Amino acid sequence: MLNINYPKIEKKEFPNLELNLVEPIHKLNLRGKNRDFFTKAGKILSIMLPTESNTSATIKNISALWLSPDEWLIYGKDIDKNLMLSLDSEISKLNLGSVTDVSDQWVLINMKGKNVFEVLSKGSPFDFNKFKNTKNVVVQTLLNHVDVILHHNDTNNVDLFVRKSFSEHLWLWINDSSSFL
Amino acid sequence: MSENFRSTETKFLDKTNRISFKYNGKKYYGYKGDTLASALLSNGVHLIGRSFKYHRPRGIMTCGSEEPNAIVQIGGNGPFTEPNVRATEQEIYEGLEASSQNCWPNVKFDVGGINNFISPVIPAGFYYKTFMWPKKLWYSLYEPAIRMSAGLGKSPTQPDPELYDHNYLHCDVLVVGGGISGIIAASISADNGNNTVLIDDKNSLGGSTIFQDDENFKIDDEISSVWLNNQIKNIKNKKNLIIKHRTSLAAYHSYNYLLARENLGDHKSLNERSNKLRQRLWKIRAKKVILATGSIERPLIFNNNDRPGVMLANSVKKYIDYFGVRCGNKNVIFTNNDSAYETAISLNKKGINVTIVDIRNYSSSILVKNAKNAGIKIYWNHTVVDTKGYRRIKSIQIMEMSNDGTNVIGSKINLVCDNLSISGGWTPMVHLFTQSGGKLKFRDSDQVFLPNIAMSDQISIGSCNGNFELDDIIKNTISDCKNFLSSSTTDFDLIKVSCPKQKENKNIWLLPNDKPLGKTKPFLDFQNDSTAKDIKLAMREGFRSIEHVKRYTTTGMGTDQGKLANMHALGIISETAGVKMGSLGTTTFRPPYTPLTFGTIVGRNVGTFFDITRKTPMHAWHENHKAKFENVGQWKRAWFYPKGNENMDQSVQRESKAARESAGILDASTLGKIDIKGTDASEFLNRVYTNAWSKLGIGKCRYGLMLNEDGMVYDDGVTTRLSENHYLMTTTTGGAANVLSKLEDYLQTEWPELDVWLTSVTDHFATASVCGPNSKNILKKLFPNIEFNDETFPHMSFKNAELDGIHCRIMRISFTGEHSYEINIESKYGKSLWEKCMDAGKEFNITPYGTETMHLLRAEKGFIIVGQDTDGTMTPIDLQMDWIVSKKKYDFIGKRSLYRSDTMREDRKQLVGLLTDNPSEILEEGAQIVQDEKKQPIEMLGHVTSSYFSPNLNKSIALAVVKNGKKLKGQKLLVPMKDKTIKVTVSDFIFFDSKNERLNA
Amino acid sequence: MFIITCPFCGERDQSEFSAGGEAHIVRPKQPTELSDDEWADFLFMRKNIKGIQFERWNHAHGCRKWFNVVRDTSNDKIYAVYKMGEKPPSN
Repeated sequence: MLNINYPKIEKKEFPNLELNLVEPIHKLNLRGKNRDFFTKAGKILSIMLPTESNTSATIKNISALWLSPDEWLIYGKDIDKNLMLSLDSEISKLNLGSVTDVSDQWVLINMKGKNVFEVLSKGSPFDFNKFKNTKNVVVQTLLNHVDVILHHNDTNNVDLFVRKSFSEHLWLWINDSSSFL
Repeated sequence: MSENFRSTETKFLDKTNRISFKYNGKKYYGYKGDTLASALLSNGVHLIGRSFKYHRPRGIMTCGSEEPNAIVQIGGNGPFTEPNVRATEQEIYEGLEASSQNCWPNVKFDVGGINNFISPVIPAGFYYKTFMWPKKLWYSLYEPAIRMSAGLGKSPTQPDPELYDHNYLHCDVLVVGGGISGIIAASISADNGNNTVLIDDKNSLGGSTIFQDDENFKIDDEISSVWLNNQIKNIKNKKNLIIKHRTSLAAYHSYNYLLARENLGDHKSLNERSNKLRQRLWKIRAKKVILATGSIERPLIFNNNDRPGVMLANSVKKYIDYFGVRCGNKNVIFTNNDSAYETAISLNKKGINVTIVDIRNYSSSILVKNAKNAGIKIYWNHTVVDTKGYRRIKSIQIMEMSNDGTNVIGSKINLVCDNLSISGGWTPMVHLFTQSGGKLKFRDSDQVFLPNIAMSDQISIGSCNGNFELDDIIKNTISDCKNFLSSSTTDFDLIKVSCPKQKENKNIWLLPNDKPLGKTKPFLDFQNDSTAKDIKLAMREGFRSIEHVKRYTTTGMGTDQGKLANMHALGIISETAGVKMGSLGTTTFRPPYTPLTFGTIVGRNVGTFFDITRKTPMHAWHENHKAKFENVGQWKRAWFYPKGNENMDQSVQRESKAARESAGILDASTLGKIDIKGTDASEFLNRVYTNAWSKLGIGKCRYGLMLNEDGMVYDDGVTTRLSENHYLMTTTTGGAANVLSKLEDYLQTEWPELDVWLTSVTDHFATASVCGPNSKNILKKLFPNIEFNDETFPHMSFKNAELDGIHCRIMRISFTGEHSYEINIESKYGKSLWEKCMDAGKEFNITPYGTETMHLLRAEKGFIIVGQDTDGTMTPIDLQMDWIVSKKKYDFIGKRSLYRSDTMREDRKQLVGLLTDNPSEILEEGAQIVQDEKKQPIEMLGHVTSSYFSPNLNKSIALAVVKNGKKLKGQKLLVPMKDKTIKVTVSDFIFFDSKNERLNA
Repeated sequence: MFIITCPFCGERDQSEFSAGGEAHIVRPKQPTELSDDEWADFLFMRKNIKGIQFERWNHAHGCRKWFNVVRDTSNDKIYAVYKMGEKPPSN
């Protein structure tokens, strides 16, 4: 059997802040722009891909995050191999767009608590004032010079995606910053 | 016991909290809330330091960030020591240690004081003029001597143990300055529903109005300080308002981007601040900015105006009214305006002896009338011509002035005093406004520069905008804020203000004296010791531009950046040159407004966080097996794996041999990987690579070379056709992000019609590359279901496979020239895959090798590394890679450039091999190559790009780029080194297995 | 550090973007037809104006889209932002 190894990220608690690794979890990158692409993706995922910038759509345990006018990140507990296969065969194989498994491209870290945005503001130039008062919003920005995708899915609850090779470094930085609140 | 100068009660200090501190080794006491300056003054200490050039004794002049003289070293000799701290800003804490700077052996007796007596021979530009010749003495004599006497404090020699942090802050309105106008502005802004931040550099709000206790200054029938105190209480409860104390603005950039330093620990004892942040740098982005930075009192420029005990009048007022400290027992106030009379009245009320010297003929102000009624003696139309007293002022001499103010007349009057409070009017603090790109205008009536045209959404209010009287300040602040914030009504709309008005103005930049200028020392820049006569000398020597005069005389170049006296320098220049001050402009105000310590600028980006590090999924294995790591971009890549006491060289030789003789394994996870899908994927690859792609079979791999549009090699890598419309491209480790961005650029801008989708999967896959004659045997063990023979799985092909039920992609490709396979697996299994390979390879002595061995092995084969053997000036033809450039394709990126006259030149630098005549001699990478050492100047033909000792060939090999290299094959060239010249022969650059027989071995 | 309004994501800090040089330089469709001088003109010649310049920017750390920006290089004031393929504003 092959073992699974994740970067050294363990559950951590700080005043009004809890950090968790949410892995393994399937993640898909969807790209496309024509109507058939939207219809097929919507049907298979049971989610209309959000077309409004910086937003997300969540149904049950699957979320679709807007990344650009022709790119989405899909993730959630309810994604399984079968769903991935049917997306691949009905979108990629039919040349309607592209479906790429990026489950291991990104590491998902969940941050929750009142201090989430305090910590994020230490390393991100993004203005969180509106973001923190709006649910189901998404931003791709920099955190301590590292690319991240942030999904505000519930009040003071943020799913943070960081590329795996950067994840250990960013994790250390988040821990460090959380200790100087 | 020395005399106690804390004479009056004050509500601003916590008198129950007595604090001891040390100054120059002696213990003193003060109270919580004292600055080091106020605490020293309360103990009668005026002498603080020695001036920079003449080592003249200097004392405390001001009470704020503009302080030029009272700069001290804080914190002894340890790692906490900090030079150039303004005593007027440093709050005292229990155990504080401070000492004087720029003096030896001590501040009372300083050897450098000799400079004061030889000052006639060290005028402005002395160093520029004197140490020019003889030139050879510069290194041995001049520079060491100048270095010893240069600089003010001592830099710490140990790492800074304190913690600093950065934080972004976004707000609707930022108010800078917590004086009366800032407080009103913040209040209006917050009431208007704006997220407002108010920052102030002091530990409490209120500016100078908070200690203005005079019946003549009233707001809504209350004394101004009482009214303001209530306002401060009010704003503390406002919901939309954040107030940051001890926070000073360092920089104001365009787009309302501002940097502010918040002091969290400097006022606390070392115990209280251990493991806590010392300072935080706020990176503020404000939609609107309100500058209420106030103004600084001007000194007056007269002979010997720099002695300890000469202070700014408003500062003397703050010391008595705010800190309860008297700066002397016999005060003389020397002024050209009415505001200094407030100081006189304050001192008089507290029973301190005051005399006034005023350069004006009279003033009709109520303040002057009150001073007269209090029995204060006023000398009208008089100026100070000299001061006496070495370590503290003892007396002054005054004379009457002629009507035009250019001369003095009559006889000298001697006034005994221990404090001279001077006031030359007020200078609005427009530094931040101009930092943000704002343009100034000049107001002739009181000779001030004022904000005129702003480059971002901001206003200046209060005295930094030239409002100096309480009623103007308040009323203009209210109306300006209402306009700026589009607020229709405010709590202040019915406000009533009464205050005295400044009546008569008179300003003389350089006051007249009975002696010629050359015999006097009227200081302009107190910290850098430049005098009015230095300015005049510079002008006589032909300097006209204010920027040039500044640099020649060093006026305004100290740690205080000339906050006090830049205006006087300008005034004297304009008078001497006969030009209007407004047309002269100011010197450029640059950030930071006050000095920032490096720690604050760096924040937490130290140690681990100095730079970002990327790790592969196998990193932990490499670490456990004692690999040394190499930085490749942000990646940490295994460099070599020393066994026992091996050095790098020995490791690399062993690893290289093992890889060729049996089996080696390399972590290739860092290579960039781009997933390419779409019906036009093949056409896209045709356009971005130099070779043809349409006919590549499914399941096959191909090496591609990517050029820039200028024809120069940009990146390379192997791309695999996974299915009809699906490719996986690999890029170099360092080029991954740039290649993806470049490809997206072409797709989005030049070829939007192409149906192609790119997705980065670099981090999704871990890659183990197994090479060597036994690689096939190892793969067979791992993948028993796959047939590993040259027919079904030939070189440059790919297969899907499963390892313990987990999907893998195996590419049979080689970067070493050996038979080899790259196994790609989802990165969470990367470490486990690697361990499986090690297990399976154990019987074949599988040897992990790092980047150094990889470089060596590929150099033996003459495979280039983009970025090492190329540098952005090499075409594929220069690299002798003509074979990869399609002649048939109509176009690809860079194609046209290969037919430019310059790229077609035959004598361009070309990639060649070099063999040293002595096969054990290894060339240095970067070494220059020449043909004729005697020719002058020596012609540089090229340089060595890669060089190794090859254990498989048992000789030294090198790659080089050499002018006209293709034609030089077989010729002798020279590589001159520092101690010898190495003889080399130009060779083919494929040193090993030139027939590629090992690929299928 | 200025703020750029990405036409897709909205206002973001400059650090999320990378600059791509002068805008509206179209890659010739038939490079082989061009003389060396004409090709060099496409390849190398760029304006470097003190004042209003049309530039390409990439939201590199955001949506990764390229777009055009009209910027005054003397004070960084941005007058317009528009998508690739769109016409530059006339005034």
